[in-house]
Amino acid sequence: MINQLPIINMLLFLATALIIPLLSRRKFNITLIFGFIMLALVMTSSFFMLFHIADNGAIIYQFGGHDSRIGIEFKVDLMAAIISLFVVGLTTVIYIYSCGDETEGVEQKEYGRYYILLFIMLFALLGIIYTNDLFNAYVFMEIISITTCSIISIKRKKETYAASFRYVMLNEIGSLSYLFGVALIYMVTGYTNIDFVSQSIQTIWQLYSINIIIALGFLIIGIGIKAAVFPFHIWLPDAHASAPSSSSALLSSIVVKVYIIVLIKLLFKVFKLDVLNHFHVSDILVVVAATGMIMGSIFAIAQKDVKRMLGYSSISQIGYIVMGIAMFSSLGLSSALFHIVSHGLMKAALFLSVGIIIYKKKIKKKDQFEGLAYEMPITMGVFTIAALGMIGIPLTSGFISKLTLGVAALDHRQGFLIIIVVLSGLLNVIYYLPIIISSFLKSEPKIYHPFKIEKVPWPMLTSVIILGIGILTFGIFPNLIMNIMTQAAELFGWV
Amino acid sequence: MEDRIVKSITRMVIPFIQLYGVFIILHGHITPGGGFSGGTLIGTSLILYTLVFGLPTAKKKFSHRMSQIAESGGIIVYVGIGLVGLFISGQFLTNINAGFPLGEPGELLSGGMIPLLMIAIGIKVASTMVSLFHLLIEGDLDEDHPGIR
Amino acid sequence: MKIIQVFVDNINFIGAVALFLIGLRTVVTKKNLIKRIMGLNIMGTSIFLFLVAIGNVTGGVPPILSGEEGVTYINPIPSVLILTGIVVVVSITVYSLSLTVKIYEMYGTINQDELTNLIREDDLHD
Repeated sequence: MINQLPIINMLLFLATALIIPLLSRRKFNITLIFGFIMLALVMTSSFFMLFHIADNGAIIYQFGGHDSRIGIEFKVDLMAAIISLFVVGLTTVIYIYSCGDETEGVEQKEYGRYYILLFIMLFALLGIIYTNDLFNAYVFMEIISITTCSIISIKRKKETYAASFRYVMLNEIGSLSYLFGVALIYMVTGYTNIDFVSQSIQTIWQLYSINIIIALGFLIIGIGIKAAVFPFHIWLPDAHASAPSSSSALLSSIVVKVYIIVLIKLLFKVFKLDVLNHFHVSDILVVVAATGMIMGSIFAIAQKDVKRMLGYSSISQIGYIVMGIAMFSSLGLSSALFHIVSHGLMKAALFLSVGIIIYKKKIKKKDQFEGLAYEMPITMGVFTIAALGMIGIPLTSGFISKLTLGVAALDHRQGFLIIIVVLSGLLNVIYYLPIIISSFLKSEPKIYHPFKIEKVPWPMLTSVIILGIGILTFGIFPNLIMNIMTQAAELFGWV
Repeated sequence: MEDRIVKSITRMVIPFIQLYGVFIILHGHITPGGGFSGGTLIGTSLILYTLVFGLPTAKKKFSHRMSQIAESGGIIVYVGIGLVGLFISGQFLTNINAGFPLGEPGELLSGGMIPLLMIAIGIKVASTMVSLFHLLIEGDLDEDHPGIR
Repeated sequence: MKIIQVFVDNINFIGAVALFLIGLRTVVTKKNLIKRIMGLNIMGTSIFLFLVAIGNVTGGVPPILSGEEGVTYINPIPSVLILTGIVVVVSITVYSLSLTVKIYEMYGTINQDELTNLIREDDLHD
């Protein structure tokens, strides 16, 4: 029964997406509760899978009982189990937020459609994490691309359509580039299954080195466009500027990270370390990541709109994660995995608290935050915790991830990378700290105002409080997940 | 269109196009093609009907309710056949081990569950093409475009 | 002479790469939205041509069982990959075309330069 859990998770999400159109004729709360029950079921089954895999090893699931050479298989190892649990858990929290958000442009009629698209997107996200076949990953990649684009442009406003058209064009160039890389790999090896491809490449890469280097280039560029790595990041800030807050949180915290997982699988399971060191891939990725870290922050300083600023900040943090991967060591990979989880929590907290502020006060520019901490204490409290986490203050999870990334950088043979990590942290201060400080000052002197709890719908407050507690917990007790991350990173077989 | 010749010829040709589409769907396990291309043919015949006879007449033949049933039904049949394999033998979408009857290769009634899956896919693809076409041209009906009236 | 020999032997692969680059240039450079969607289709078709050229076996027959002995069939797996790829590219094309219809309703133009100017004017009014 445990072995059937991967496909049962995916089918539960697909069934939810099919049943919602039948439900939404009557009261809408039935749909919301039904979706929440399904998400809770899948989260418990992901917990079971994680404990089972940590003891017994990977689950291999072959579709149709066909042998691995001729069929499609799913292989759920420790890293896939952790990331799928993170995806489902964070989506549950963002789902709770979106239940309470009635007026940010998502009208009542569109509501059912929003959740249908959300569940189909979750079905494809789980599929691309579990799969062990390169072409199957392409199909799921396209499903994610269409549903994400529809979630962003769900508000029927003018500027969403032009932004989502540019989004579709750029993502499609990325997907087709990935497909060309898969076609080149099929030409050389004759398989698309990851295990057989890696065995085949280990024996023949000396003969076909030109094919393999071109395939590597196409694959990295294709996934780089979709994961918003630095030179290909153009679509991300435009997509954030006009989307509902829950969609922005989903896109920037979850979807982009899943493509980084695909990149990790490609680099370390398909092309192993001998091939990559021969082609100097590590140096190229380090340069790209370092440029992204610094340029992302520099662009963020110049923005006036809060959501665009958070989008550029995401690009800078994704540079951190790619640098952790580019170290090609176990410590670097475990710090990259930890930063995936911690940045997901922090960026979701930032986007959701900005969403509450827009809902209550309708402000969007970053110089309109004066005195807000006295009127909305819980929201600004969570925003402050998350922003301090991005900067890297101790007691938050952002500090732990910067610490481990710095130690991994010192371990690498080029020690100057530690300077870039510190410099990027300082640049983060320049655009987060003025917002926090201006929210705690009031321009007109008044008598003492007691803090009053703001009147926003309770699902929105509950979700940001859960995220804030999560950031602090992983900052004070990081060993809760750092042990499993280190164990997962060891499994890739480092020299 | 108001042309009499076009309407008469279309009324004669559409059943043959649909017959050819059904032929390609049912022979999906013997010849190239299968559910996708056969479904596209059936969908194209209904789009031809819409272009010649106008949108309101076509909406009576293929209403919103029918497209909902066709699309949901396609997926439910596909997943149901896969689940039969899951319960009998252990993996999703098994063919031989789940007891589907295999005939001789090359005959029409062979291949286990593959013809059933092709029929489900064909219905779904045809319904998707027609409903998307109706959705795209709905906003375009006015006095300046008497072509689709 | 040798270069022409190499060119003629691998003409399928060279054609596929040339089509990919033509499609990429169309998506990036042209200003009309519909031409950019056509560029995506050209890129997709070039990858399918590449896959067909990979699966070809010299002197093979189509992979349909016909009861004869001792024939070499060409590789059937690239055909399956191409079928799935065609469906995906068609669905992306449909989605982009419906977005284009909506942009035309909202803005009245489908030229990228005029769109950028109209969006910039809207931003100034906010």
